[in-house]
Amino acid sequence: MVNRARISRPWSRRWSSSAVYVSFLFFTFIVLLPVYWMVRSSLAPAADLIKIPLVYFPTPTLRNFITLVEQVPFLDYVRNSLVFALATTLVTLVVSFLAAYAFARIRFPGSSIIMWTLVLSMALPDVGTIVPLYRILSSLRLLDTIAGITLVLSSALAPFTVWVLVSFIKQVPYEIEEAAIIDGASLWQIFGRILVPVTKPALVTMGLINFINAWNNLLYPLSFTTSPSSKTLSVSITEVFAGYSPWGKPWELIMAVGVTMTVPMVILVLFSQRAIVRGLTGGAIK
Amino acid sequence: MHQTYARAPSLARANGQPILAALSKAGQRRYVLFLLLIAPAFLLRITTAAYPILQTIYLSFTNLNLIKNTNEFIGLQNYVAVFHDYGVREALSFTIMLVVSATILELGIGMLVALLLNAAFVGRGFARTINLIPWAIPTIVAGYTFRWLLDDQFGLIPYWLNLLSGARMVAFIDPVSARIAVILVHVWKDAPFMAIIFLAGLQGVPQDLYEAARVDGANVWHRFWHITLPLVMPLTITMGLFRVVWSLGSFDLVYGLTQGGPGVATSVLALQVFREGIMFFKFGFASTISVVLLVVVAIVGAIGLWLFRRSEVSY
Repeated sequence: MVNRARISRPWSRRWSSSAVYVSFLFFTFIVLLPVYWMVRSSLAPAADLIKIPLVYFPTPTLRNFITLVEQVPFLDYVRNSLVFALATTLVTLVVSFLAAYAFARIRFPGSSIIMWTLVLSMALPDVGTIVPLYRILSSLRLLDTIAGITLVLSSALAPFTVWVLVSFIKQVPYEIEEAAIIDGASLWQIFGRILVPVTKPALVTMGLINFINAWNNLLYPLSFTTSPSSKTLSVSITEVFAGYSPWGKPWELIMAVGVTMTVPMVILVLFSQRAIVRGLTGGAIK
Repeated sequence: MHQTYARAPSLARANGQPILAALSKAGQRRYVLFLLLIAPAFLLRITTAAYPILQTIYLSFTNLNLIKNTNEFIGLQNYVAVFHDYGVREALSFTIMLVVSATILELGIGMLVALLLNAAFVGRGFARTINLIPWAIPTIVAGYTFRWLLDDQFGLIPYWLNLLSGARMVAFIDPVSARIAVILVHVWKDAPFMAIIFLAGLQGVPQDLYEAARVDGANVWHRFWHITLPLVMPLTITMGLFRVVWSLGSFDLVYGLTQGGPGVATSVLALQVFREGIMFFKFGFASTISVVLLVVVAIVGAIGLWLFRRSEVSY
């Protein structure tokens, strides 16, 4: 804390404080304007959205959310999104943690080439594989299932997760494991009693980031799911958008789905800002 | 198992890190353990990334089409067709335009935001928190929200513009303004991410470098250019590159904001792959567009790696 305050001094000294506050206000305005617009439109009666002059603060109503529940299997979509995001987070973490441990602790000539092959495979564009994936999932009878999209997305998220976890595991002193090994601990005991507790911050961080990525993912659910039993919120918003009301697009409903998708993410960000930033910078900030 | 581990500590002590002699028996067991641990991750990547990519490349030479029910090897015909396809050509040029302009703007604005977030003022914690909101909002939701915000009849921004200047703003009818809209929304969504990376870099710059430079008479600009920037560059390029590559392969934003329109003016390669492949079931043709996309990613990646190697500094 002390250190950071010292670093910021040369800049803050030059910027007159009013300039800082003006840019702060401008920044806040730009970031929050779309959020305001989305929330305002989702809570407004449909008729208030097509009035000029614009209604800035309509009388709030939950009517649009009730309409969604009544007219589309909205609660199913919420459940599917949750299951998909949680399952993806779990699968990605388990698979990545095992691999990251191997890369961090078992080193031999060529082991880093194997690691970089895995990590750099994240550069393969996801959309570039959807046609073959469609056929693979179809032949495995995983098309239109949450399990199918979970496997595919977990695979896509694993390389980055491995990369971050390796750097975290490397920071754990090997002496702790060494002592456990001498005491005759098995590999699973080392994982369960030492590494998981010690790397918990990293696991939480990557869990959060993967959860957000999965919750927000559109490509795989849109490409591989077709029925209400597996479609997610991200697909449902595109379907609500495709619908028409007598006045044009049903913006009050589109924005209601948008708010449903955004609120959990904003809550996560508010409560775990530090953890998320740690992961986004690949462990560069501790 | 015990034996395996019993060997490790002594070697670890000798080398200062857990490296094992390759040919010892214990070493072989470590290889087995290594393979077992990486197996799940590699199994996933091989079945859902490596094998599909190879299949994509193979399919790009076929006319596999689920609607017309064709599946023959047709050589380079798709490649010829791709470069005569108006949609793909427009998408290719806009993809490049979007990546270049959005990346430059995101780096510039991200740096300014990072400097703000690093300054000392009341409300800094609040600013740092809301900075993550554009990153956390689902891209598809951001796309629809801005489409509604820019709606020519009831959107807030055209409405305010009209009040201020009397002009009528029609963002999504004209190709140029639609493209500008996509680029700017992309910047809104991704510049905060760049700011986080820059901020991490700023916080990692050793303070004594600034002190020394000040003693030598360097001004703010010199200190920024010669100390801050070189030191934050490696992290920026690595993370920025991941982000750019990631966004090359996604179409969420244009899918929500413009659906590639008007016409195909704001379509990107990823959207064309999705349309031709998943909507029209032209698997062969879609795969060819995927290969074009792969080439673009490879070029961008190579440029990024080259920049990274040039930017590595030590202190």
